[in-house]
Amino acid sequence: MELVSDVAREQTRARYPDDEGYLDRDGVKVFWESYGEGPATFLLFPTSPISQSRLWKAQIPYLARRYRVLTFDPRGNGRSDRPPDATAYGSWEYVEDGRAVLESAGADRAILAGLCDGGGWALMLASTHPETALGVAAIAPYVPYLTPGHPNYAQYPFEDPLDTDQGWAKYNLHYWRRDFRGFLEFFFSQQLPEPHSTKHIEDCVEWGLGTDPETLALADEEAPLPWRSADEAQAVCERVACPVLVVHGDLDGCQPRERAEAVAALTGGTLVRLEGAGHLPQARHPVKVNGLLRDFAESLAPSGAAQQRWTRATKRRRRALFICSPIGLGHAQRDVAVARELRQLVPDLEIDWLAQHPVTAVLEAEGERVHPMSAELANESGHIESESAEHDLHCFQAWRRMDEILLANFMVFHDVVREEPYDLWIGDEAWELDYYLHENPEEKRATYVWLTDFVGWLPMPDGGEREEFLTADYNAEMIEHIARFPRVRDRALYVGNPDDVVPDSFGPDLPLIRDWTEEHFDFPGYVTGFDPAAFADREKLRAELGYRPEELVCIVTVGGSGVGGHLLRRIVDAFPEAKELVPELRMVVVAGPRIDPAAFPDHDGLEAHAYVHNLYRHLAACDLGVVQGGLTTAMELTANRRPFLYFPLRHHFEQNFHVRHRLERYRAGRALDFETATPAVIAQAIAEEIGREVDYAPVETDGAARAAARIAELL
Amino acid sequence: MTIAVGAPAEQTRARYPDEEGYVERDGVRVFYEVYGQGEPTVFLLPTWSIIHSRHWKMQIPYFARHFRVLTFDGRGNGKAGRPMGGTAYTEAEFAADAFAVLDATRTERAVLVGVSCGALWGTLLAADHPDRVAGAVFIGPAVALAPPHPERSVYSFDDQLGTDAGWAKYNRHYWLEHYEEFLEYFFGRIFTEPHSTKQMEDCVGWGLETDPETLIATEEGLSACGLESFADVCSRVRCPVLVLHGDEDAIRPLAQGAALAEATGGTLVTLEGSGHCPHARDPVKVNLLIRDFVESLERRTPWSS
Repeated sequence: MELVSDVAREQTRARYPDDEGYLDRDGVKVFWESYGEGPATFLLFPTSPISQSRLWKAQIPYLARRYRVLTFDPRGNGRSDRPPDATAYGSWEYVEDGRAVLESAGADRAILAGLCDGGGWALMLASTHPETALGVAAIAPYVPYLTPGHPNYAQYPFEDPLDTDQGWAKYNLHYWRRDFRGFLEFFFSQQLPEPHSTKHIEDCVEWGLGTDPETLALADEEAPLPWRSADEAQAVCERVACPVLVVHGDLDGCQPRERAEAVAALTGGTLVRLEGAGHLPQARHPVKVNGLLRDFAESLAPSGAAQQRWTRATKRRRRALFICSPIGLGHAQRDVAVARELRQLVPDLEIDWLAQHPVTAVLEAEGERVHPMSAELANESGHIESESAEHDLHCFQAWRRMDEILLANFMVFHDVVREEPYDLWIGDEAWELDYYLHENPEEKRATYVWLTDFVGWLPMPDGGEREEFLTADYNAEMIEHIARFPRVRDRALYVGNPDDVVPDSFGPDLPLIRDWTEEHFDFPGYVTGFDPAAFADREKLRAELGYRPEELVCIVTVGGSGVGGHLLRRIVDAFPEAKELVPELRMVVVAGPRIDPAAFPDHDGLEAHAYVHNLYRHLAACDLGVVQGGLTTAMELTANRRPFLYFPLRHHFEQNFHVRHRLERYRAGRALDFETATPAVIAQAIAEEIGREVDYAPVETDGAARAAARIAELL
Repeated sequence: MTIAVGAPAEQTRARYPDEEGYVERDGVRVFYEVYGQGEPTVFLLPTWSIIHSRHWKMQIPYFARHFRVLTFDGRGNGKAGRPMGGTAYTEAEFAADAFAVLDATRTERAVLVGVSCGALWGTLLAADHPDRVAGAVFIGPAVALAPPHPERSVYSFDDQLGTDAGWAKYNRHYWLEHYEEFLEYFFGRIFTEPHSTKQMEDCVGWGLETDPETLIATEEGLSACGLESFADVCSRVRCPVLVLHGDEDAIRPLAQGAALAEATGGTLVTLEGSGHCPHARDPVKVNLLIRDFVESLERRTPWSS
């Protein structure tokens, strides 16, 4: 298993702190962060230095939209100090660190939340400083001596050399020193026993690698315990006067259920048992845990909304919420086309859009109504851009590393639909919506339609066994979701035809993608978002757009995400040579909103624009398109029967497999490899392809209408 | 429909009381019922005597599974006495009856729920006995904190009128002559929502269990209330308050509910498309709103005091 290097680059967060700093207690620096503001403060305790404050990544963005959220890294990991002395890691030190964070933030009282050790520390603070605690939310709390520990830890001695390193024998100092990563991988696979937890385990291992075996041994095994008897443990719990919420997964491999039950009983708290959950439900079941924390906080510090509104069912207007993926502007254009057709069929339908830049630019230009909560969405395009290298986007990994953003954005969606009754939700590759609805099917409260133009994660050849395993695991989870909860997707629409589906399998022992997709999807055909017949008179169109008859117009466009900057520059570099080969050449470069067009050199016949409205009209009028391997633009060129060059992004499985398969079916476009396509090669290809007659298979023009009809049936 | 003599056969209930009894004050008996034994006690107050405690029939079975429920027939209808004379029907008398029911049922503290006029005695009880009232819910409150609907101020109640069109039916002479027609008109204005036939029939049936003479006395009693001091009463309410008000309430305008929420520092939930008795017409939503409110009080109690 190949995981991250020791100091991995942190993935994009859904939200960054508004304030951060260090506090110093007895020479030990503790790093804290503060997010948001609101009627109450959450202090999210860290846990043992086996982890960092990032363990709350699925909670912070959600809670911070309502409350102030304080986090800190535990001494021994993250950006906090690693004192070399076991006494510096006593439980009371962490309790006091938490209290000091509260104090330095000027927060008198807070909802104290903690996981495992952190849950115990939250209870200890509430017990000894009741004035600081508005409530305690303890997930899988560790309270020493309160009950017998989990049997897992009793199997082997920690300090003695062992003649085995199987199973829990890995919880041993000598093994830690030999293979700390191996220990972390074992330990967290035990704490995340739920199937399909690969990303959560990787996260935990990465955070664990932020410390070292010696520090962890000091903190977890050698530090003084806060007390030495069950009586003392009970007394601490009994002194907790504030409301207490205890959460415990019944597959927890670290803290026994009896301990959670005892905490709840002794504090008069509420125990929520999560069946089928392990030790880290805040990571693996974030929607459920976030809801519990929100409800708990709401009961402690009512948000005080003095006015609410409910509308009798039969008085409600008919409303749809369109959730449009921002990765690639193509979704926006086709979704607008579907929405337009849908309004034809259901004239009283009001459509709101939950979307973000750059999709919102298209929606606003089309006069569509963008829901104001869209402003709360965490930026997906920025993340994708940050994951890309030179014409290279490992989109499967980039998507996995977007898990925090996807969850944060699902919670925004969840807030919207909790407040506003919609009849219909349409998600166009709205992965967060589809995934978390299947994980939390009780949250479905409207008719739901799923749209996509590809099915199946596919491994890139150089990803090796690990990537083959991961893509198959994600595919398997999706297949299981849909088999178990067929009621979640009321309709699934594949934007295309059965022949467009790749012939591959979902993975070992999994079905063929095409068979499964034909069984589970409807096929409205491709949705172009325009009618090519409108451009049959190309001369007129060219005149309208300002292209002269004698010019050979080459449109260069690489989508809205900014990943294509390197390709753009390469093509611009090819311009002088291409211009020599094709003297009538006029090259129009569409840089997209994230690339500055002023950065390109000045050449006669070369022009650059940040944004071109109705780009498809220009593509319909051109003599050659030069594009990335994205589906939408390539299919627009195909529908308009224009010759084009396309460059699939390296490591982008969708562009390399799914799109390419589809374009080959249409006999459309000429694929060039970014690795080998020098400016000279590109110039030569431009000269060969520009203005060429093509024999593409025709693209249907009624896809949007057919998709809308299939949706309207559900209303 | 014939005017019943005595109570018509009551339809089968979803739940029957666990305890029932009478409380007598100054020779006037009121009849109470207790359901369930959860915590806290939810006290469903009487409203205007035109109907009796059965109007809570959509709330009692649900709340009784979660809380202890207390309800009583207010003086003037149901199994309560029908004293004559307006002074027997002031808001202070209703509040005193409610207080007596709390004592008789050994209820230390309760969450009050009142509809329409029930808000008058509910606020009085909450203001005067803060130790006994944990919270209060008012549905379509009939409170003079904002002007009434203009069409309800056109006709005199006491004078002989030359018309019986619309709200001219709200007239003592019309009541004495055409009581059932009045009930049908009045409950038609209560239930402005389409498809409310059963709710109207229920209410007309309960209205027929009292008589026009008694209702005239209640009208005299309520018009004698010291409403000018009502704002002061509201300002003395310390407990959390939830107001539910339909924006199509044809009896009492939404502005009155909004004003009561503001005067008591409470939360207003506007029910779009609802009339005066959403607890009967949209019982699921109202039940859930009240349950959430009651549960939020439970969670708040231990540490807010």
